[in-house]
Amino acid sequence: MLEANALSKSYNGTTALHPLDLRIEPGEIFCLLGANGAGKTTTINLFLNFIPPSSGTAKIGGLDVVQQPLESKRLLAYIPEQVMLYKNLTGIENLEYFTSLAGGRHSKAELMGFLEEAGLARTEADKRVGAYSKGMRQKVGIAIAIAKKARALLLDEPTSGLDPKASNEFSELLKKLSGSGAAILMATHDLFRAKETGTRVGIMKHGHLVARYSTSELGHADLERIYLEHMHD
Amino acid sequence: MIRTLMRYDWRNLSADRAPLAVAVVLGVAIAYGAFNGSEWIRFQNRAISEALAEEGERFDRIRNEIPKIESGEKTVSPFADPRQPQSFGRNMGTRYAVMPPAPLGALAIGQSDLYPYYFRVSTNSRETFLNNDEVENPVHLLTGRFDLAFVLLYLYPLVILAFSYNLVSSEKESGTLALTLSQPVSLRRLVMAKVLLRAAFVAALAVLLSAAGVIIGGTNLAAEGAWSRLLVWAAVTAMYGAFWFALAIAVNALGRGSATNAMTLAGAWLLFVIVIPSVLNVAIKALYPVPSRVELIQAIRVAGDESTRQGSKLLARYLEDHPELAPPSKGPGGPPDFGTLLVAVNEATERKVQPVLAEFDAQLANQQSMVDRLRYLSPAIVAQSAFNDLAGSSAHRYKHFLAGVDEYHRQWRGFFVPRILRKEKLNASDLARLPAFTFREEPTADVTGRAGVAFVGLLVAVVLAGIPAVMALRRYPVAG
Repeated sequence: MLEANALSKSYNGTTALHPLDLRIEPGEIFCLLGANGAGKTTTINLFLNFIPPSSGTAKIGGLDVVQQPLESKRLLAYIPEQVMLYKNLTGIENLEYFTSLAGGRHSKAELMGFLEEAGLARTEADKRVGAYSKGMRQKVGIAIAIAKKARALLLDEPTSGLDPKASNEFSELLKKLSGSGAAILMATHDLFRAKETGTRVGIMKHGHLVARYSTSELGHADLERIYLEHMHD
Repeated sequence: MIRTLMRYDWRNLSADRAPLAVAVVLGVAIAYGAFNGSEWIRFQNRAISEALAEEGERFDRIRNEIPKIESGEKTVSPFADPRQPQSFGRNMGTRYAVMPPAPLGALAIGQSDLYPYYFRVSTNSRETFLNNDEVENPVHLLTGRFDLAFVLLYLYPLVILAFSYNLVSSEKESGTLALTLSQPVSLRRLVMAKVLLRAAFVAALAVLLSAAGVIIGGTNLAAEGAWSRLLVWAAVTAMYGAFWFALAIAVNALGRGSATNAMTLAGAWLLFVIVIPSVLNVAIKALYPVPSRVELIQAIRVAGDESTRQGSKLLARYLEDHPELAPPSKGPGGPPDFGTLLVAVNEATERKVQPVLAEFDAQLANQQSMVDRLRYLSPAIVAQSAFNDLAGSSAHRYKHFLAGVDEYHRQWRGFFVPRILRKEKLNASDLARLPAFTFREEPTADVTGRAGVAFVGLLVAVVLAGIPAVMALRRYPVAG
């Protein structure tokens, strides 16, 4: 579903991402680990077509994101570190707006259903987003993905700054989405979550994807040890 | 899609109460501008009707007086005798040539407060009644009254920029841009929706409030050409606004922050609305200085004195030039009287002053043609020239009026000079045959044609700002 073929990016001679080959199938949760500046966000921005690749291709559902930017985005949901919504609109209005951009038409009850599915309380849905916590905004982001029936999710450190309970809820939602067949690429610093939620993990360093593991092969302690080993030069 | 984008953008905007505040400010400004314009029109109309009333009373008095003098019931000195053509044509019976305000006169005062709109035409030389003053500023680029045109030229761009300086940058700064563009929406479509919404709002404000201004200003929409002028006015307003929107998009497309955008656009406003017009004004005056007014007055005096000294010699030459006007040789002889001499003296004076006046006119024409060429440096000047044209407060309409006055002056002299030379007294029935001045409005097609050229000029400016804007949007850095 998510596919990078020799995908690379360099800015004025410095390489942010060395040629990357990656396939993430439906139902998989691939967690990208690595220090800040390792190229995780660059990879996600390339899939979003927010930055043009220097070489290679990024594909979503077989669609080249540069050649078919709008079509590929129909399949896609994006949850950044901070889901920034329109502060003056309520949660449900924000959801309605973003889903209608994707061509969806939903009744108020349906929209409320998506928000509930994402774990947002009914009483909160009609409040202005300006008063929302980060966790609540992330839930609206998930609701957008649910409403859109996204086949691919791109998440950029979505759980950083969430309290453990919120973080746990978030992980459960991701599992549910992947259970229904979404391919998920998540950049994160949270080794525990990566092990718990992910099906595979990859470690990035200086723009290279230096290692990949299946989480079933690893224990928690193993992952931390391996990660730290890679971080040593 | 565009409608969805616009609907939510509007919700966002209106939640800020910013549109309401702007509508109120712009509304007050437009209403005040329209009020000022209509005051000026009322003032002009009052002055005109007072002048015409004065003329009417004077003529009534003369009409009563003539039979009394003829019957010997009343005696007057020859200078106060209305039957004397030189007295009547020079002073007692002079009539007003009047240019009434144009149909949309209240919308742009323009230079109409610099130009006289009525003259008292006499047999004297033209310069004595034409206030042939230096026009202080050929396009009246800098100053001016607070009228509707001022609001549209100066404040309306600021309103547009206030709405659009952070069109894209604010979405990027608040983080909503990334989430929006992760949906199947292109940045260009998003920008288009935002611009359309804001343009519709601002244009609706400008058009509705201008329409209110037209009504408050007491504009006579039944006047010929009023509607087509209004239509072109609205089109020029829209295109001038489109230029500022295009500029705002171009600046946003560079991908800088909102603060930088605001500074850049404020700078652009200053450049196009203030700096270029003033520099142009200074340059024009430096390149084509108009001879000083003092010089002109001095020339008229010297020429007048000289001509008066040469008196009878001039008359002989005048009559050689105009044999048809020579008094019948068997008529009353004797030395030529004051009126006869004056005819010749006036003519000679006019001839002598002619070079100075020609210099004057040539320099003004040079200034005007330089303005016509260089006005395309700033859309503000282009729009202003169109507004002044449509409101009838431009130099074009004034020139048109002057040409009519000149023609009338010739008719007036043509009526009186032969009678002066023949020493023929006027009678009551002559009063009805006096030439009268009627102002013929410039053909509407001429006016809208000139404004149409300005419209095309603005269109070119929109394209020049718009194309790079659209190109730069393709490369807009959504991330980083």
